[in-house]
Amino acid sequence: MNMRTMKTRKSVAVLGIMAIAVSACGGGGGSIVDSGSTEAPPASDGGSSTEAPSTSAAPLSELPPCDPTALDGADGTVELTFWHGMNGELEKSLVALTDEYNASQTKVKISLENQGGYEQTLDKYLQSGSGSLPDIVQAPEYAVQVMNDTESNVPVGACIEADTYDTSDFQAKALDQYFTEGVQWAMPFNVSDPVLYYNKKVFEAAGLDPEAPPTSLEELRTMSQAIVDSGAAAFGLALDTGADSGGGWFLEQWFAKLGEPFSDNDNGRTAPSTKVLFDSQTGVDLLTELQSLVNDGLAYNVGDNASGQDALLKLADPDKPAAMTIATSAALGTVLSVVAAGTIAGVGVDDIGVGPMPGPGGAPGAIVGGASLWIVDNGDAVKTAASWDFVKFLVSAQTQSTWASATGYVPVRSAALDLDPVKTTYAEDPRFRVAYDQLGEAADTPASVGAILGPQREIRNITAQAIATILQGADVSSTLTASASQANALLADYLANNG
Amino acid sequence: MSGATKRRWRDVPLAVAMLGPSLVVLIAFVLYPLGRAVWLGQQRCNVQATKCRSVGWGQYTDVLMSNEFQSAVWVTVKFALITVPVGLALGVGLAVLADKHMRHIGFFRTVFSSTVATSVAVASLMWLFLLQPSVGVLANIGWLNDIFPVIKEPGLLNDKGTALSSVAISSIWANLGFTFIIITAGLQGIPRELQESAFVDGAGGWRRFTNVTLPLLGPTLLFTTVVLTSRAFQAYGEIDLLTNGGPVPQQSTTTVTYLIYGSSSIIKSNEGLKAAVAVLLFVILLGLSALQFRGLGKRVHYGS
Repeated sequence: MNMRTMKTRKSVAVLGIMAIAVSACGGGGGSIVDSGSTEAPPASDGGSSTEAPSTSAAPLSELPPCDPTALDGADGTVELTFWHGMNGELEKSLVALTDEYNASQTKVKISLENQGGYEQTLDKYLQSGSGSLPDIVQAPEYAVQVMNDTESNVPVGACIEADTYDTSDFQAKALDQYFTEGVQWAMPFNVSDPVLYYNKKVFEAAGLDPEAPPTSLEELRTMSQAIVDSGAAAFGLALDTGADSGGGWFLEQWFAKLGEPFSDNDNGRTAPSTKVLFDSQTGVDLLTELQSLVNDGLAYNVGDNASGQDALLKLADPDKPAAMTIATSAALGTVLSVVAAGTIAGVGVDDIGVGPMPGPGGAPGAIVGGASLWIVDNGDAVKTAASWDFVKFLVSAQTQSTWASATGYVPVRSAALDLDPVKTTYAEDPRFRVAYDQLGEAADTPASVGAILGPQREIRNITAQAIATILQGADVSSTLTASASQANALLADYLANNG
Repeated sequence: MSGATKRRWRDVPLAVAMLGPSLVVLIAFVLYPLGRAVWLGQQRCNVQATKCRSVGWGQYTDVLMSNEFQSAVWVTVKFALITVPVGLALGVGLAVLADKHMRHIGFFRTVFSSTVATSVAVASLMWLFLLQPSVGVLANIGWLNDIFPVIKEPGLLNDKGTALSSVAISSIWANLGFTFIIITAGLQGIPRELQESAFVDGAGGWRRFTNVTLPLLGPTLLFTTVVLTSRAFQAYGEIDLLTNGGPVPQQSTTTVTYLIYGSSSIIKSNEGLKAAVAVLLFVILLGLSALQFRGLGKRVHYGS
């Protein structure tokens, strides 16, 4: 201990210089997350018997109950608070829907509270005492484990069961994202997934069929080659390494498409994940291919995509454009309005094509992005019932049709597709339908619905670093191995503190 | 007990009553949270920080020794070394230029101080518009790209060598209005007679600037330096909007503040580690301010 302290003092003096020298060692000693993470919590800590992740799920009967009939006995209007993270046009649509709900009945009145964004909503939720929590909260797709670990919610599954609510026409992928250990924790509300955006003009100039975008990585390569060879565009594909896109979320997508687990315990769905599996042969093959697309001059790496738009804007580069990129379907509305403003010379709104996200071997499917609705357990059966009533309104076929048409999110249930306005929207512009269709295309197994990880956002940052390093030419296998052990250290730390 | 001591003790209740209100505020909003943060820094917590266990004060040394923290400190120091001197020099330069009795000088003063009214978000978006490598303004000036190809590939904000300086430039620009106003106020406090007598003694413009203006600006410069330094150490908005702490994997713009609550931070959900880093940042800033006041303070002329 003493020696260690002395060593510390010396090193502080050369602070910084060392950091660069050792920063390449990944999961090895010296990362901030390693400090103390290997120590298990002392056994005497609270006397809790659930230190190791248990494989048996808490049955619904042990979780806070939901009694939908409790609302009938309520006297007066039940006032509820809903924390959300929707901004701009999305917020306007949500406000309109909430006003409609409040005006349609007198039993429940919802007050919306905009927390600024997903991150802020989640941070505020985690840091609020139980007395200051809202009644309903919107939490993003990467927060499932974290939300479960707060043990502050009434699982919507309890309400679904008690209300014998029919979910048969729901998108299985959307529901399953919020389903772990046998419990439906939250209700999907706003759903998006990654799609391929491409410039049809470039496809025509390269002699390719503008209505047949690549669906596999193999086609992506041959078509990119044709585009580059013909000089129709400087690059086939614009790639990025952002944690919310090419560096993190897409990696999980590709694993899910292949039906390969991304983490252990069935992607964290039978018990909390303790280990990531992205350094498997699947991961190595996948990233080797992406790396060689860049090395061969077929793809261009725009980097971090920090502003969330660099990859898409590469399609509009007047000098060295790319013909395609992969981005969230939620961006489609914005992309079309930016193109309509004449951002890409000679390219009109109709020249932008949308296809399913290409995957290895053309494996179809996608996992959901976006967020879900969580009912907060305030120990008040009436409030729980009222919250459930509002949740049902937000996922009703008509609401989902209106919401999807106004925002570009995909409806969480198929019944919405038969109703206007989304019926007309999809009929008039099938590009908006691509993200919906691809969700239903893959098998519905734990491996293909994507992983649930405690520190999911941090792990996406770790894979983003790995992919950035790889696309800059680093060895694929050893980089992934180092990243996986760093991610595993994070997971171990998370489980030790949240077990 | 002597009478004097007695009298002093008699004053205690009154002193407490007088100090009370501010003491309560100080304890409730500064000392208690600070103490809690220091305590939290040696703990590991669950995501809500409701269940915490102490892992020992060694957590501070572990954090201090970690690659992430050291790299963040180094980035922060570089960021301060760029933004503070350049910001100060530009602020003084503009203030001296605008400190003239001329027609319409008010117009220039308004322009020079205008960035005070610009929020970090707006300023950063404007710089993003300038620096974006595909469609940004700078990326589409042909001759500029021939000289500096980095503007286009990979882009000033995406290159590990230029990202920090680019963020620093936007930060300098955004802080310039503040520096300009403070230094203009300082300049107006310098007696005109001193300038005039130096002029009569035959001192030229530069001589008057270095021998009269600068020494008398000392206290203002010291204040501005301390404020700019602490701003540099706490910069967040421009980094979040322009680079997210990247480019990865070098994390070239992850400063200490960004490491604490940036969206790409790997200690995002770890309240104990965040507290430890925050406390260390506090200690660094405290030491730095003390150094600045002691070191620079001695050379500052506060007048008679």
